[in-house]
Amino acid sequence: MRDPEIDNLLKRAAGAQPQVDPALVDRLAQSIGASAAPVRPLAPAWILSGGLVMLCAVLAVAGAALLGFHGLRKMSALEVAAIFPVLAVLLGMAAAVCAAEMVPGSRRPVAPWALGVAGCLLLAAVFGLLFHDYRTERFVPQGMACLVAGLAQAVPAWAAAWWVLRRGFAVNSLAAGFARGALAGLAGVAMLELHCPNFETLHVIVWHIAVLPVSGALGLLAAAVSGSVRAGRRAAP
Amino acid sequence: MDSASNLALLMARYQQGDSAAAADLIRSLSPPLHRFFLMQYVSRRHADDLLQETWLRIHEVRHTYRRGQPVLPWLYAIARHVRVDHYRKTHRAESREERLEESFDVAQPAREGPPGTPDLERLLASLPESQREVIVMLKVSEMSLEEVARATASSVGSVKQKAHRAYETLRRGLATMLAPGAPSRGSA
Repeated sequence: MRDPEIDNLLKRAAGAQPQVDPALVDRLAQSIGASAAPVRPLAPAWILSGGLVMLCAVLAVAGAALLGFHGLRKMSALEVAAIFPVLAVLLGMAAAVCAAEMVPGSRRPVAPWALGVAGCLLLAAVFGLLFHDYRTERFVPQGMACLVAGLAQAVPAWAAAWWVLRRGFAVNSLAAGFARGALAGLAGVAMLELHCPNFETLHVIVWHIAVLPVSGALGLLAAAVSGSVRAGRRAAP
Repeated sequence: MDSASNLALLMARYQQGDSAAAADLIRSLSPPLHRFFLMQYVSRRHADDLLQETWLRIHEVRHTYRRGQPVLPWLYAIARHVRVDHYRKTHRAESREERLEESFDVAQPAREGPPGTPDLERLLASLPESQREVIVMLKVSEMSLEEVARATASSVGSVKQKAHRAYETLRRGLATMLAPGAPSRGSA
């Protein structure tokens, strides 16, 4: 059987479905039409994404200014030229994904999960190429300090992203939560690159990059918890 | 003016508070939406509920529609969300309650087709939900690949692949059904 014949059968099957009750449609049209007050449409995608990138960059710089720009001072020009443009591109993509997740039916540049994985791999490749100090002195204590500082930086970035996108509507709240967490995590990574003077390869690859997936996972968790709280509220009599 | 730009215009007027545009939009989009829900194998009553729930949700989040963008992906993305939400709620409720009325309430009412036509509903039911949804949007709601990709938050390649796989399954099933000696709908 050829495709056009299957198309034809599908159309016939759809035609055989019972029609929607006209009284129901009239009722809906009347009740919704009666409350159709003017609304202010969401800002264009580029404004939302641009706003998110700006806020995350400002917060990362402010966080590093608070803790000191020790990492930036120690970096060579090549390291600065390689790391920060990559972070800027990742921030831009994460912001675009975040904004797309909050507008139903918008074109997504990439799935949030794919962005998280690609971001980690890209950063690992850049750090691996640039840093060649393979010592692991005080690997866990120093690493934990960086992870905590990065996640602490992610909190205001997450709150800022929530504020910018508060009028949006996520049809997939888990994906939106992960995207927002990943964006905030990237702000945390950017702050660590400006601040942390420890250029041991494994430290940078493991603990700095870890901020991105951990923050994404926390964003996912926050979305899951708020979703179940909302569902519980709706189910309550 | 084509249908897509007409819908976009109605949506823009709806955002500006034009109640006639809202009513026109509801009248023109309710039948395909209702069909979309029915073809996902929910009962008539549930399809009615889902339709109402979808329009209420659309009304709440109408500001998220961006002027100039296609209306159908935005609308179907919300409809999918409402359906998934409904499925979760029903599933949760069913796990708590005894399923006394299951066969009466959830089962699709039997529809009689002309004798000898293949039972396409049974074939569609055999498709995985993601493939069935793509087929319904493409062939019943007549959306483009790009629109379906936007509505389902996936890529055009993924939509094409799902449609291709669905067609393979349908083709195999139809070949079996239409083979000489196979029982047809009307012969039962």
